[in-house]
Amino acid sequence: MDIGYWKLLMGYPHKPHPRETVVLSKHFGDADARTYKGWVKRGGYEVLAQALAMEPAKVIDIVKESGLRGRGGAGFPTGLKWSFMPKEKKKPHYLCVNADESEPGTFKDREIMRWTPHALLEGSAIAAHAIQAEVVYIYIRGEFTEPWTVMERALAEANATKVFGGIKIFLHRGAGAYICGEETALMNSIEGKRGNPRIKPPFPAAAGVFGMPTTINNVETLAAVPPILKQGAAWYKGLSLSSPKSTGTKLFSVCGHVQKPGNYEVTMGFPLKDLLYELCGGMRAGRTLKACIPGGSSVPILNREETESCLLDYEGVVEKGSMLGSGGVIVFDDTTDMVYQIMRLARFYAHESCAQCTQCREGTAWTTKILERILAGQGKMADLDLLLDLSENMTGKTICVLSDSCAAPVVSGIKRFKSEFEDYIAGRRKPVMVA
Amino acid sequence: MADELVNLTIDAVPVSVPKGTLVIEAAKQAGVLVPHYCYHPGLPVAGVCRMCLVEIEKAPKLQIACATQVAEGMVVRTQSAPAKQGRMGVLELLLINHPLDCPICDQAGECELQDFTFQEGRPATRYSPDYAKRFNPVEDFGPDVLYVPNRCILCTRCVRFMEDVAQEPVLNVSERGDRAYIGIHPEGRLDHPWAGNVVDLCPVGSLLSKDFLHKARAWELDKTASICTGCSQGCNVTLDTRDNVVVRVRPRPNLEINRYFICDHGRMNYRWMNRGDRIEAPLVQRDGELHATDWDEACERVATSLRGAGGRAVVLVSPRASTEALFLARELFTGLDWTGAFQVVMGEEAPLAGVPNLALRAERAPNAKGAELLGYTRHYAAALAAAEGAAIVLVLDEPDLVVRTTGTLIYAGSVLPEGARAAAVVLPIANVAEEDGTFVNRDGRAQRYFQAKPAPGMARPAWWVLSELAAAAGRGERIGSADEAHERLTASVDGLRGLVSA
Amino acid sequence: MSVTAHPTPAGTEAYEPVFTAAVLDQLGEILARYPTKQAALLPALWIVQRARGWISDRNMAEVAEVLGLTPAYVKGVVTFYTMYHQHPVGRHFVQVCTTSPCNICGAEAVAKAFLETTGAKELGATSPDGKWTVIEVECLGACGFATPVLVDDDFIESVTPERVPELVRKYK
Repeated sequence: MDIGYWKLLMGYPHKPHPRETVVLSKHFGDADARTYKGWVKRGGYEVLAQALAMEPAKVIDIVKESGLRGRGGAGFPTGLKWSFMPKEKKKPHYLCVNADESEPGTFKDREIMRWTPHALLEGSAIAAHAIQAEVVYIYIRGEFTEPWTVMERALAEANATKVFGGIKIFLHRGAGAYICGEETALMNSIEGKRGNPRIKPPFPAAAGVFGMPTTINNVETLAAVPPILKQGAAWYKGLSLSSPKSTGTKLFSVCGHVQKPGNYEVTMGFPLKDLLYELCGGMRAGRTLKACIPGGSSVPILNREETESCLLDYEGVVEKGSMLGSGGVIVFDDTTDMVYQIMRLARFYAHESCAQCTQCREGTAWTTKILERILAGQGKMADLDLLLDLSENMTGKTICVLSDSCAAPVVSGIKRFKSEFEDYIAGRRKPVMVA
Repeated sequence: MADELVNLTIDAVPVSVPKGTLVIEAAKQAGVLVPHYCYHPGLPVAGVCRMCLVEIEKAPKLQIACATQVAEGMVVRTQSAPAKQGRMGVLELLLINHPLDCPICDQAGECELQDFTFQEGRPATRYSPDYAKRFNPVEDFGPDVLYVPNRCILCTRCVRFMEDVAQEPVLNVSERGDRAYIGIHPEGRLDHPWAGNVVDLCPVGSLLSKDFLHKARAWELDKTASICTGCSQGCNVTLDTRDNVVVRVRPRPNLEINRYFICDHGRMNYRWMNRGDRIEAPLVQRDGELHATDWDEACERVATSLRGAGGRAVVLVSPRASTEALFLARELFTGLDWTGAFQVVMGEEAPLAGVPNLALRAERAPNAKGAELLGYTRHYAAALAAAEGAAIVLVLDEPDLVVRTTGTLIYAGSVLPEGARAAAVVLPIANVAEEDGTFVNRDGRAQRYFQAKPAPGMARPAWWVLSELAAAAGRGERIGSADEAHERLTASVDGLRGLVSA
Repeated sequence: MSVTAHPTPAGTEAYEPVFTAAVLDQLGEILARYPTKQAALLPALWIVQRARGWISDRNMAEVAEVLGLTPAYVKGVVTFYTMYHQHPVGRHFVQVCTTSPCNICGAEAVAKAFLETTGAKELGATSPDGKWTVIEVECLGACGFATPVLVDDDFIESVTPERVPELVRKYK
């Protein structure tokens, strides 16, 4: 595809807000940074050369020290994850890059790939060196046509300069399956299988893709690695406003009913209220905040009070009853029909369930049917208890957490917005016919 | 060297099992059957049905017993409230799309979904009758297998069997979420020589055998341990009979021979056991015709020939005869110039790729090895030639009989072939489903099989007939039971000496 | 409009292979990236879809042959991934995201506008002129640019019902 053409298609990001701390998003919107030359001009690939000359263990130590945690949703300490890989290499090691960004509300990895592809490539190569992997697969979801084109071009340019040494990087295209963002499903998908999550153990560091020791990292996590190596672990740690367990900056994807949706990079511990009202320009005119999902659709919904008092770090969001997740912030204003939106989320999970585990395969679909019936004005009060009980059945009992993710908005939604459900059931609200 | 043992308790029962054992297997040792669907000891672990949820002390959530290995000091509770709640939840979900068509389902009575629902399911569903159930039409998967998708619980046992055991993945899981079903490519057929096992593996009535379709209800069946007669592998099977008719053959687990499987050739090889054209009485030659008589006369006629006989005796046997009968057919002629021979029908070998040393063997007979151990040879043509001038020729249940002799021809068989019409005496014997006996498989393993139905009319097991003949001719003692015949055999034959019945 | 009176039995009609010598070369490059042939399955299916617009049962059998898999295995994989078309679709394939974040920004109206403008009447159906198939999809991963729409391989952001006629005109 010709760059000039998709320039027309691509929305340009906003100018950084003064309260943002731009580390990853520094070059968003800067077309020249996408080229190899442009990236090098901006100091890119310097630390890669340094890292490749370092002992792998040393690289891991720095990343451990920085406190960097996985940005895909689980928040697992990155350096620690890398250290699980066998020290003594007996088999091929692999790095899989999770660019299957599909969590509703999340669109940060897409932005990294289409504006700073070399940041991802550089971070991937450093990680590969740290875990002694010679092959890297970057798994990009099939719908991401532009990030694919950008990444393909960037990779070709970088390969031509042999900047990755002996490390080989390949792109692998998904084909429409949310669950492939789950790390073991992603590995199966690379292997040419259905994207079914695997039972653990064995863990990927012992037997991952092709049965070999594997590490899977999210795009944003890897993009943060070069700056950490460049400016030091202490610098990265020092960026945090709050907990010593949540360090550095994080890209928050804000969408829904705000004036200026988009990606915002702030330091850990930033107040969610300020993100929404200052950086994103607040609610649409004349509207007030009703609810917010702070970490992608799989985490519990917060109400207005919880949202406005929430600090954005791993611990702060948990304190309010939800999770930081992927940092996908979905904002709902007072016009929102919460029952309908929760049904849409349940339908999403029912659509994406891989079909392996009983609770997920059957539970997500049943949940959707109950919600549709409530919306149609044919619900019963007992349906709410049934939904909660069903959600309990779907939580903590399956191979992966897709089933739990379906339960989260349902349970939190009923807890915080019960009257909206009751209005439909009692006939106080006009039924909605669901397609 | 003994395996390292791990100690744990399951429902307060202490057990010691080898390291690496799965909790679900350890539980069996404690006398606890953890309900399960996708788990099968003969297949790779899938961990998908989530039925075997149990509580394990110190684990933050319920664990599946089928994918969790034992650990020292582990405390497992299968009957705790959370574990039972978890499993009840799975059962409810498995049933929301499952039709309540047990009255017309072949699996009813031996259905694990029925059993576990009865055991620990909810008394009623909370799934509104307003909601549609998943519907897909019945599919013809192969020569003997029908797929009823509406009953399917997606345990994937069939898919894993074809993929990992048969190593011919012709089945798949198609689509995803609650739209998923077991699929097949339109150009593919489930016609692998071992495909029928998917019917046994299916824990519900989703995969059905066309051969068994609507033939019987599970509770009407009597089950008898037997050995497959389809080839020399010696697979352990169960003969299912309904009103004394064999209606189904299923594998009986034996980890060293057939694990949990049998081939389709063996599975279908039972109709002859129900043949109606059986010899029901002893027959003797009189005025150029065979006439029915009683056992006394028949035995006496044989004894007379034997008493006067000298010179050569030729015994032609079927390699499907019991080892006991083969032994007695040799002993009967002690002192004579004895020649024993058999012929074996040969076919294509069909291995089950995922199980070492398991195949439908080219030799389509269960007891050729037993016959060889007893001195019978494969020089059948030579034996036929020798029979011409022999003083006495005994044929034991060989239906492809074309024998000419100037001596006395005695035929002991279950049916009467054309070539036996010239026999001086015809003795009706029981078939494999009608007697207890022993086969020796190709690897020299002697295995016993048991009587599943009565023999018709006056037919008797061959061991009984031969011992009666020996007694009548003054050539041995009467044998009173199949066990006694077996003891005589194992006490006298080198290769079988000291053998314990298996 | 032509009507097939007697459908040819499966497997007997002439089949033109996708994997000609040139395409096999392309596949060879892909195979070199992975330690197993099976891993090239998703890329191989993309090749087929690009060449034929959708993936038929016969195509699946061909891919199976090329990669040493069984047709049933390939079909299991094809049916897992929603981007592989198991049936022919219109010349332009439109995917409108209607998951919650886009939904609250009016995505359903965008989908409706596409249906009306293209004449494709209902979701998943192809317009009578064979040009358009419109579907709703779950999250396209561009929630901040509601409503994102994929027209073939073009990812278009911030689509509103008002913009739809102009977009449809562009694709003809």
